[in-house]
Amino acid sequence: MSELRRDPIVGRWVIVDTDHPNKPEDFEYEQYIPKGGVCPFCYGNEAMTPPEIDCFRDPSTTANTPGWQVRVVPNKFPALQIEGELDRRGIGIYDMSNGVGAHEVLIETPYHNKDISDLSNPEVENILQMWCRRALDLTKDKRFKYIMLFRNYGKAAGASLEHPHTQMVALSMVPKNVAEEIKGAENYFDYRERCIFCDIIRQETQEKERIIFENKYFIAFCPFVSRFPFEIWIIPKKHAGYFCHMPAEEIPALATILIETIARVKKVFVNLSYNFILHSSPINGESGPEYYHWHIEFMPKLMRTAGFEWGSGFYLDPTSPELAAKYLKTVKE
Amino acid sequence: MPELRKDPVIGRWVIIATERASRPDQFSNVSESGPVEKACPFCEGSESQTPPEIYAIRPKNTPRNSPGWDLRVVPSIAPFLRIEGELERRGKGLYDLMNGIGAHEIVIEANQHIANMADLSEEQIARVFSCYIDRMTDLEKDLRFKYVLIFKNYGWVAGGGRVKHSRSQMIATPVNPKRVKEELTGARHYYDYHERCIFCDLIKQELQAKDRLILDLDGFIAVSPFAARFPFETWILPKKHACDFTSLDQDGKKNLAKVMKTLLSKLKNGLNDPPYNYVLHTAPFRRQKLGYWRSIDNDYHWHIEIIPRLTRVAGFEWGTGFYICPLPPETAAKFLREVEV
Repeated sequence: MSELRRDPIVGRWVIVDTDHPNKPEDFEYEQYIPKGGVCPFCYGNEAMTPPEIDCFRDPSTTANTPGWQVRVVPNKFPALQIEGELDRRGIGIYDMSNGVGAHEVLIETPYHNKDISDLSNPEVENILQMWCRRALDLTKDKRFKYIMLFRNYGKAAGASLEHPHTQMVALSMVPKNVAEEIKGAENYFDYRERCIFCDIIRQETQEKERIIFENKYFIAFCPFVSRFPFEIWIIPKKHAGYFCHMPAEEIPALATILIETIARVKKVFVNLSYNFILHSSPINGESGPEYYHWHIEFMPKLMRTAGFEWGSGFYLDPTSPELAAKYLKTVKE
Repeated sequence: MPELRKDPVIGRWVIIATERASRPDQFSNVSESGPVEKACPFCEGSESQTPPEIYAIRPKNTPRNSPGWDLRVVPSIAPFLRIEGELERRGKGLYDLMNGIGAHEIVIEANQHIANMADLSEEQIARVFSCYIDRMTDLEKDLRFKYVLIFKNYGWVAGGGRVKHSRSQMIATPVNPKRVKEELTGARHYYDYHERCIFCDLIKQELQAKDRLILDLDGFIAVSPFAARFPFETWILPKKHACDFTSLDQDGKKNLAKVMKTLLSKLKNGLNDPPYNYVLHTAPFRRQKLGYWRSIDNDYHWHIEIIPRLTRVAGFEWGTGFYICPLPPETAAKFLREVEV
């Protein structure tokens, strides 16, 4: 018998196939092998991107030339524009505003073919530091209410450029799913005066079967109500609303767990495409950080999401998170 | 300047990229066609290859599970949910769960091997709608079910299977799906305040504004929604208010079939036979919780949402509920209005 599981935060139901679960070899996913070619994010092609916003680079080098380790540039085809007024307005029953916001691209490494799992710890720590630095800077702009940080890796996951990068979008409103999550967490907090994510961590640590691994500051686990097979959450053990306020000693621990997570998933699924999204508290007064707990949601692109899911908000997970965690726990490095 | 637009029913914001704006024809279908087709178990003469039929439209003198039918409904061979058993709601620490009880049925829409619903006759399409109504009415009798979700996955990229035979799916669920609940709540709030149906207001505004209108035909309209998530997303709505699809009469089915065929043909001809999904949005079974559904007959309005799958939906869109639509719905509507069928 399959199970219907209800997400404790947003109340979404997911069908988990516990009867005839998919094993890793049952997934027919689109493999991703980088093709190479001229790339605007590679060394020497700095002029092909808009001028850099921020950068970690050797002190002897000048802006927009080689010699950098991590480079942040505006998206050349931004979904939102930084200049202008929001100008909220209505047309009959419809509401709209100007598309004011920031859309930045964080080029993670000079290497065209190196995923996060192929980088060294210090290299990944640089990326994480830059995430925090950019988020802190964007937070200063009071027009912005939410900073969305996400990574599309591989064509099937929607990446239009091969060179590994993270995208950061600063929005004038809180996106719908985030707003629902915040509301769910707030309701829980109002009733119990505890953070629901802290409670989830407690229960997962006790039950153990969905945990992949943990270190001093972070835990990686397959959530009880996974929407996607092999979905993984990485969450700080200590309550924190904003990732950009992460203490310096936690950064190496996050780098380690991120590298290991991606390495393990890619060991099970060779040449996998995937997305991850960093969920953090809304900024500039949109919510209090005491009941929300920042975390990373990692989603391997193993299935073709069909009409059923988007029409119903109902998801079908063919591999239970318990089983997925078991595969990920036992895979040999 | 790009625009941020808000869906008036469920409150989702969408970025409409008005400037970066792509030309409509650049979206024409370049997606992969998927693996080679398997032998078709859905054609006339292959009845023994499916589980026994639950429902069929066939002449009285033909026996069940034999040729001669016009439309058949069979249980899914790989069901998401199963019909036998108890729900057994339970908790596990802070998590809630229940058994995967439900029905999962496949509607085989034609006895010939035709892939796209656009290529069926209006009569065949009208039969599909009749079948939806009959099956929904029947499934409502099972008190464990709250909703029947009806949808179609056409083409490999849209989640269609290896067999290219026109069909849709029906899933009866013991809970109301989240999306449906959000729409019902949004519509009820609007009604509480305005004492009008939000969808009726939407239809009036679209008929007046005209720039997002694709079809206005025989009691139905097809529009590109104001806060479209995807290029060429299209909604079909009945102009006459009705919350429940099962209230559609004979003429209504015929007219809807004509509208559906016209629209799907426009998509097929204009966009090079793209993969697509459609989902029927209709009121849930209204039998429990006296008082809860007090205004649903007035505030909710059934409709069909059609989404051609022309862009890759990145995981982040699913994860955040935040969409970037690279084509303004006004441009999409203009393009579809002009496609000849």
